[in-house]
Amino acid sequence: MDFSPLTDAMASKLYDKIADICDQLMLQVAAEGVAFEDEWPYAIHLLGHLYVNDSNSARFLWKSIPSAIKENQPQVVAAWNIGQRLWTRDYAGVYEAIRGFEWSEEAQPLVAAFSELYTKRMFQLLLSAYSTISIQDTALFLGMNEDDATNYVQQLGWLADPASRMLTVKKQPIVTEQKLDPGKLQRLTEYVFHLEH
Amino acid sequence: MQSVENLVTQIQGLSSSASDISVLHNLLKAADDSLRSESARLLPLLDQLEPSKHSLGYLYFLEPCTYGSITKERASTLVPTIARFITSCVAEQIHLAPEKFITVCKRFKEQVMLLEAPIRGVGPMLTAIHKIQASTEHLTALHPEFLQLCLLAKCYKTGLSVLEDDIYEVNQPRDFFLYCYYGGMIFIGQKRFQKALELLHNVVTAPMSTINAIACEAYKKYILVSLIHHGQFSTNLPKYTSSAAQRNLKNFCQPYIELANSYNTGKVTELETYVQTNREKFESDNNLGLVKQVISSMYKRNIQRLTQTYLTLSLQDIANTVQLNSSKEAEMHVLQMIQDGEIYATINQKDGMVRFLEDPEQYKTCEMIEHIDSSIQRIMALSKKLTTMDELLSCDPLYLAKAGRERQRFDFDDFDPVPQKFNI
Repeated sequence: MDFSPLTDAMASKLYDKIADICDQLMLQVAAEGVAFEDEWPYAIHLLGHLYVNDSNSARFLWKSIPSAIKENQPQVVAAWNIGQRLWTRDYAGVYEAIRGFEWSEEAQPLVAAFSELYTKRMFQLLLSAYSTISIQDTALFLGMNEDDATNYVQQLGWLADPASRMLTVKKQPIVTEQKLDPGKLQRLTEYVFHLEH
Repeated sequence: MQSVENLVTQIQGLSSSASDISVLHNLLKAADDSLRSESARLLPLLDQLEPSKHSLGYLYFLEPCTYGSITKERASTLVPTIARFITSCVAEQIHLAPEKFITVCKRFKEQVMLLEAPIRGVGPMLTAIHKIQASTEHLTALHPEFLQLCLLAKCYKTGLSVLEDDIYEVNQPRDFFLYCYYGGMIFIGQKRFQKALELLHNVVTAPMSTINAIACEAYKKYILVSLIHHGQFSTNLPKYTSSAAQRNLKNFCQPYIELANSYNTGKVTELETYVQTNREKFESDNNLGLVKQVISSMYKRNIQRLTQTYLTLSLQDIANTVQLNSSKEAEMHVLQMIQDGEIYATINQKDGMVRFLEDPEQYKTCEMIEHIDSSIQRIMALSKKLTTMDELLSCDPLYLAKAGRERQRFDFDDFDPVPQKFNI
């Protein structure tokens, strides 16, 4: 089996490509009739799906893994453990699953990148869903201790109230570029004209 | 009559130019019967042919090999051979014998199933579709086979690649039924319920003279997905649905209709009891997972209903109204729904309140305009297609003869080439 596209992507930290690369590679070796299961980097493959927020595909991949591999490769189980927490929306449990395993040298950078990305995703979620939230919960969502979490969000403009242990969420104005291509406007005019006549 | 060895030489010599190939095609057609009777000898001869060069000849030799009952042993030699052939054959050559190619691919699927390794067929079957398809708008007989393999091998994501194309041309109704049914299942697996509904709806409302099992199973899933996605289900089918479906579908899906009725009461406990008593029925239909999703969707539905009445509401009140155990649980449900974009709200933990908001989309960003623009383009293309199809149909002699007969006073003196009344 030629894993070079995968190792290249891992080396250049193109983690969002990993799931697709693995999917394609797997279909290819399967079609050639290679018994790939024993050597397949299931843990990386699972993490690749999680990295692009595709827990559905991760779940189907987990279901297709032979039980012998699930029993013998603790890292595969550990990777799915993260997926399972995401699946059940056990927001804080994801960090426990990440920290609760000694990841191999190969998987470690991917797990670390995922963890960082997940913290960002969680921050965005809190930003969109809360107006005030306790420091304790924020720490759980961001996977930090309470001081670090407070510092993290304060840097992004949130206000802390030490008395009630509450944080006030500061929404960031979303800046989007509003440059309209005149060709678009022209086309819209044509549609309206078309509809009216 | 030629010997098969002779034929091998012919194939080797006549596979380069288009005119040679058409000569070869005639030779092969003439030899088809003798090839079939000598099918036992053909497999070793394939080694003398190059699938990427002698595709047509290879196909004529390969097809008889796949006939008859196949043992596991034979399948394990045939599967790699066919996989290699599909991957390397030349599309132009196999287009001369599409039926043979489809037969080979179908037998190939049966063999990977026999080997209990559906994943081995996924890649080649996708390649086969791309090679045999006249355009991405054509549904081939291999589409359903491919999607079924994807489901069995749990490669749902790979299945999406063909489902993204819009299909306009269908030859066999059965292919279309299965394509939509399996496609619906793939979208369900990916939790893209809107697309799943669309496909399942196609199955249920497609023309059919008698009711069929695919439509029944599709209708069951349609009911469940409709509850999960829309929170409601109506038994009214659109007017263009066949009368066979209108009359019979409900009778075959009674437990599901009752489930929908129970859902409409809005009471979670009632729904749970109903599911519990009918568990076996859902389980034997392999729909229990979806039914469970229906139950959990009810909490969401009830919360969504609250957004229509209240501007702000305490978490405790939400928990009480939708029958959740604690205000924390209510908070988690609201959070999940915000995450999934199902409601717009902000949670105020300090006061334990939720404030429901309007959809913040203002339809003025460039992306939104881009999106609307592409939708309009698609609809315009679709409308053009419909017009062409309508024109084609109104010139179709078969249709005209039938419509003419049904029209009471049809007279050739009417200088009216198109019947005015469409009896659809």
